[in-house]
Amino acid sequence: MSVSDRELLQRSASGDRAAFDAFVERHGADVFRYARWVAGDETDAEDVLQQTFLDAWNAAGDARAENGARAWLVSIARRNALRVSSRRGAAREQSLEELGELAGFGDPEHTPERVARAAEQRGLVEDALAALEPEEREILVLRDVEELPGASVAELLGLSLAAQKSRLHRARLRLAAQLRRHCGLEQQA
Amino acid sequence: MRGEREIGGLRCSQVLAQLSEYFDGELGDLERGRLEAHVRECDHCARFGGVFAAAVRALHTKLRASALAPAVRERLRARLELPPRRT
Ligand SMILES: [Zn+2]
Repeated sequence: MSVSDRELLQRSASGDRAAFDAFVERHGADVFRYARWVAGDETDAEDVLQQTFLDAWNAAGDARAENGARAWLVSIARRNALRVSSRRGAAREQSLEELGELAGFGDPEHTPERVARAAEQRGLVEDALAALEPEEREILVLRDVEELPGASVAELLGLSLAAQKSRLHRARLRLAAQLRRHCGLEQQA
Repeated sequence: MRGEREIGGLRCSQVLAQLSEYFDGELGDLERGRLEAHVRECDHCARFGGVFAAAVRALHTKLRASALAPAVRERLRARLELPPRRT
């Protein structure tokens, strides 16, 4: 059985580099992926990645690892990402019905099979995600890519559980709408 | 909404509003039953539910990569070597 995050962090806190290396190895890719989508470009994302683990090393002793080390790391990464990027435009408010129509509600041509086929191309999914507002992108990465639980994400983003759910739902609809646009472009090409 | 109808006491827009909670397993038995009853009879919602689920699934399956690129990992290691521990 592998060593728990909590134990790795405890050992790191007492100066065990090998334990911290194992911790970095375990979570580095997740932190980088989050940083890449939130910070916007690869260079900023690497900076966030490095700073996050430096901070984690320094704070290993007070890690709130009982709530999950990944959520703790993401909260550090988020602070660092906010520092490097001065974005945070508020998403344009559209009604759920409008979003639903943009995402293809009532369009007989737009089928699950068509979406699944388009989504075979990783680049197309990345483009769709990149086209969203930062706030929408962030919650999708946290909930649907990293699969952090709703309660952790709500806490991380400083939202009520209900507000977190609502933001997630709208973001998913906007992603579905972007994918539909890309399906259309693909067809015309 | 285009093609909006009411089936089983639920309108399509109400189904749309609950899709995330449905797929996340957060609806109570009663609400879930009503939603499923609507979707069984409504081709718009059946198709759109599938479209929505396929979009969300794509995020996880396509973007959850396995590991850090070697160059990124090396630069991270190099940066973590340097500082003395703050106490
Ligand atoms: Zn319907």
